[in-house]
Amino acid sequence: MAVGDRGSGARKPAGSRLAPASPAQLSAPIVVPNTLWQSANPLAYDGGQPTEATHLREFGLTDAGRNDAARWGALQVIPTNADYIVDLIRANSLWPLLSGLACCAFEMMSSATSKNDMDRWGMFPFRASPRQSDVLIVAGTLTTKMAGPLIRLWEQMPEPKWCVALGDCTVSGGRYKRSYSVVQGIDRVMPVDVYIPGCPPRPEGLIYGMLQLGQLVKDRRGHWNEREIGPTVPDEI
Amino acid sequence: MPPRQPASRPSKSRAGKRAPEPPQQYASTDDPRVMLDRQIGALFEPIPPYPTQTEREGEFYTLRDGEMFLNVGPHHPSTHGVLRLVVKLSGEQVVDVDPVLGYLHRGVEKICENSDYYHVIDQVDPLEYVSALFQEWPAVLSFEKLMDVQVPRRAEYIRVLTGELLRISSHILYVGFYALDLGGLTPILYSFIERDEIVEMLAALTGARMLFNYFRIGGVNGDLNHEFMSRLGDWMSRAAKEVESSATLLNENEIFVRRTRDVGVLDRAAALRYGVTGGNLRASGVPFDVRRAHPYSVYPELDFNIPTRDEGDSLARYLIRIDEIRESIKIIDQCLHNMPDGPVMASLPRLIRPRPGRAWAAVEGPRGMLGVYTISDGSDQPFRFRIHDPSLLNLETLPALATGHLLADTMTIIASLDPVMGGIDK
Repeated sequence: MAVGDRGSGARKPAGSRLAPASPAQLSAPIVVPNTLWQSANPLAYDGGQPTEATHLREFGLTDAGRNDAARWGALQVIPTNADYIVDLIRANSLWPLLSGLACCAFEMMSSATSKNDMDRWGMFPFRASPRQSDVLIVAGTLTTKMAGPLIRLWEQMPEPKWCVALGDCTVSGGRYKRSYSVVQGIDRVMPVDVYIPGCPPRPEGLIYGMLQLGQLVKDRRGHWNEREIGPTVPDEI
Repeated sequence: MPPRQPASRPSKSRAGKRAPEPPQQYASTDDPRVMLDRQIGALFEPIPPYPTQTEREGEFYTLRDGEMFLNVGPHHPSTHGVLRLVVKLSGEQVVDVDPVLGYLHRGVEKICENSDYYHVIDQVDPLEYVSALFQEWPAVLSFEKLMDVQVPRRAEYIRVLTGELLRISSHILYVGFYALDLGGLTPILYSFIERDEIVEMLAALTGARMLFNYFRIGGVNGDLNHEFMSRLGDWMSRAAKEVESSATLLNENEIFVRRTRDVGVLDRAAALRYGVTGGNLRASGVPFDVRRAHPYSVYPELDFNIPTRDEGDSLARYLIRIDEIRESIKIIDQCLHNMPDGPVMASLPRLIRPRPGRAWAAVEGPRGMLGVYTISDGSDQPFRFRIHDPSLLNLETLPALATGHLLADTMTIIASLDPVMGGIDK
């Protein structure tokens, strides 16, 4: 049977095992009873009262989420918002995309290998696919010809994602400020979270920048998408 | 009267014998199916979208039966730079390769022609970023030829010393990246231990880890200091042992040897025809080395061998690098023993205006002959500053080498050719 003929009013044979479900079966929700876990302390969660902070931003403005008891005490954190824990996980497991462009890529690799060993902070697995990575480290000069593929990589990365500009060329154009073929700072074409100047920066600089990025992830408190995009883009570009 | 078969449903026996239909031609472009075909065609647009420019391009982008294009990159196919390959495949066999360059073109030559002679040395650093001193060296040499500067002997020895250190660093990285491209993650961890130690000791001398800006016209910037010498002494005491131990990681590795032996064989005549230099040429049996053929600096005073091999395959190109590391250690040892006293800079004016003329200077870099051709018009900026990079000529052999091999062997060949895209795209 040709593909186009499918569904053209042909009935299924009588002996088919795929009997259609009744409408009542489809409309009823699947209920899983929540008896898997309950608190041993009946006074947990403020005695069952709802929390005062109703919105994530309001909660972020208070100090409640910033003390260690709130961050690490599971009883206070788990019921409020999963983003806090998820952000904690994200901040400690930032997976960069394996995309080196030029010189700085060697310092990026140096910071990932034996001596500097970014793996100690959970940043090692340089993913070869943008769909598996959290951080785009733009390591090296971004030329106008490479800008398109790099933006494509950035857009293929799933949110939440962060961008680190490594090296003078990506921060501002650097020594290629006068060049006709270099993007004068990658914040003209994509949002940047952390700028790491240097030509090239030492591996310690990259590690410090990534640690700052981890702090940024935690400080944003789930507002990872509230990023200023293209802060320095002039109108004529 | 027998029932007639519907016209749209031919019988199976007839359908099996029928020849494949030609692509459907629509009578008018108003047919909506034309638009559908065009949209699908836009998704899988044949490369390039423009009319082909050359005969070779037209031949490459014409697919024969059973062939397909595969796009590789532009994403560090060999961890040496941003290179894009359009690979024409038949099954898994490579029919042809078209490297697409220019993703790292930074306009360095034009910047250099608008810089002072002193500033040029800094601007050429990021071209050969794996071993930046080898790009400063020919620039400085050509300027010295233009100006007839006599370089102090101690400065020459320091240049050779730092240069050979960087050659070791580059070759060690080559070994690590080679294995990384073949899927082995371990050797690069060992490579970066040595490389980090070398660049750290050079940072103690020059102040930078990668882009050194250390050579000057008429000497070097700063004499050897204590930290550099102590680090170098520590490293030299274990260098030979470390090199041997990291060489045993791959030399005896059966997987590595099987994936590299007889892969990408570059014979002697083809290597000379393509203009290949460096270790890739010496792996094909031509004992050409700029340090011997066109001696510069103090290399005539030093005792070292030019290792060659006759196989010309990817394994030979790897083994040549290992041999060159051993020779470089010998050269460093002689430099340390023969290092004369004296100044490290010739006295020069602050503003350099060479006489009008032209000068070509070349050095033997880790990847081959690095050259600089300078034309001076008597002003304080070079009129023309032409950079010759060996990686471009080495990479040009890729279509010839990869043809007939499997797709996975393309990565082997690129890694064995050791291109650095900064120098290729300039």
